[in-house]
Amino acid sequence: MATIRTRSRIRETLIRLSAYLTILVALILTLFPVYWIAANSFKFDIDIFAVPPEWLPQNPTLKHYDEAFIQRPFLRYALNSLLVAVGTTIVSVGFGTMAGYALARFSYPWQWRKQISFWILSTRMMPPIVSIIPLYLFFNSLDMLNTKSALVIAYTAFNLPFATWMMKSYFQDLPVELEEAAIVDGDTRWGAFLHVALPLARPGLAATAIFCLIISWNEFLLSLIITLTEQSQTLPIGIAGRVTQYKTYWGEISAAGFMACVPIVIFAFIVQKHLVRGLSLGAVKG
Amino acid sequence: MARTASGTQIPELQPGGRLEHWAERHLRYLMLAPTMLILLALTIFPSLYMFYAAVHRISPNPDLPWEFVGPGNFVRLLTDAQFHVALRNTVVFTIVAVTFEFLLGLGLALLLDRFIRRLTFLKTVLMIPMMLPPIAVAITWKIIYEPQFGVLNEIMFRLGLPLQAWAGDVNLAMFSIIVADVWQWTPFIFLLMLAGLASLPVEPYEAAALDGASSWRQFWDLTLPFLKPVIAIALLLRVMDALRLFDLVFILTGGGPADRTKVLSLYIYQVAYRFADPGYAAAISLFVLFVTIVLSTWFMKRMRLAE
Repeated sequence: MATIRTRSRIRETLIRLSAYLTILVALILTLFPVYWIAANSFKFDIDIFAVPPEWLPQNPTLKHYDEAFIQRPFLRYALNSLLVAVGTTIVSVGFGTMAGYALARFSYPWQWRKQISFWILSTRMMPPIVSIIPLYLFFNSLDMLNTKSALVIAYTAFNLPFATWMMKSYFQDLPVELEEAAIVDGDTRWGAFLHVALPLARPGLAATAIFCLIISWNEFLLSLIITLTEQSQTLPIGIAGRVTQYKTYWGEISAAGFMACVPIVIFAFIVQKHLVRGLSLGAVKG
Repeated sequence: MARTASGTQIPELQPGGRLEHWAERHLRYLMLAPTMLILLALTIFPSLYMFYAAVHRISPNPDLPWEFVGPGNFVRLLTDAQFHVALRNTVVFTIVAVTFEFLLGLGLALLLDRFIRRLTFLKTVLMIPMMLPPIAVAITWKIIYEPQFGVLNEIMFRLGLPLQAWAGDVNLAMFSIIVADVWQWTPFIFLLMLAGLASLPVEPYEAAALDGASSWRQFWDLTLPFLKPVIAIALLLRVMDALRLFDLVFILTGGGPADRTKVLSLYIYQVAYRFADPGYAAAISLFVLFVTIVLSTWFMKRMRLAE
């Protein structure tokens, strides 16, 4: 009896140990690439090319940051990215919140509520590559290629359905009674939304906004199609532009790439509680 | 996935019999209208436009009129070898990448759920890859795969294994793309599975333990069936995403070598811009759209089940 118990305890400890080991390996595999791009961005070119690789930058330098952000227009690209992301987020979260609230609270004739919800979701499923040709021809005919407004419009196409579903899911979690009480107290239906539901949904609103910022900040394909000039290109396009057929500017793209990641990592920690819901479009609540 | 207050409607009584404003009365439509109009304009219009473009030959010269070719562009899909290669690459990539992401993500979630609970920080750290800009991920792996000074070949060298060209090698290019994608997206499956595991009911497991069911049986007979809705959602979102793969390929291989990593998105891009044939590109896009609609319809049926 005693031996069995000891044996099972040893087994339990072994399982536990291998579990911790697996998690440690997963952590290293997760973090190493991120560390590596950061490390390379602080190395001189000659150290980037070093064989065997220099695991820790021996002569740290900000040279590539200077190249990218001062001498080359990466600051401009980053600013463009930011402006487009903020613009998209304002439009998407603004309209998406109203639509999400309406779909969470109101009744519609026939089965509209359900059908409209799923139609909105289905627009989110549309692959961006599918719309590049019409969008390109459309913006071309309006003379809007190479403008940030064109990017905001294009990005809204997939951020708005996302924001609508997220906010719908958050509003559905709020108790209806508070809004009912406000209406009984003489508030209008719109007033109940504005003064009662909206303040309660603030965490959801913030999470949705941050997700929209991240999605827009990371977007590549549409920007590649719509923008060709420095004045309108976003950070990912700027980075891709330094990987050419003839030469790859390793230091520069490492610096710019790492800088593109920093705000995202910060945002990820801010929205960590909402990640599951955000990534599953409100379908799974974490 | 309990939903509270789902579908609950507020009685729309107006206080004191006051005259209702028009806006207040139509609020349900007014709040929905901007989103509906924007999405109609941004999705229905491009789709119709694409149908129109797909039945034409569009010259790169904007002054030339579009030439009507009827179903010509769709017929080309049947005989275009490059399209078949792109389609096959996309299917292979999707199946292999999503399978690995699923197995790794589920395994890691089971481990973490069992041994490390409530460690939000650790979870968030493991979550980082999928939040990063795909372009940054692509250049990170480009540096790692670099044949001359890349870290991967250094590891191969230390292990006494032959050095490889990785993304530049005919046989390893697709594998390299898949590894980078698995690195970025395994956390997604992991996160959703973790959420699913956290919401499992306790009682069935207590009953199973009393009956002396092994943990393997418990996993097979309880955990997996309970997780099914979450698994369906996670897999479908991943599949939809894998089908639109572009950024990684664009940076890491450009579709090469020898078209081994040419996927549908990249092919559409090339046809539209490098070969300047938007009409045919529109036809391929419509094919992708059709596949997506079939898949997403199925997905939304699953969501309805989950609700």
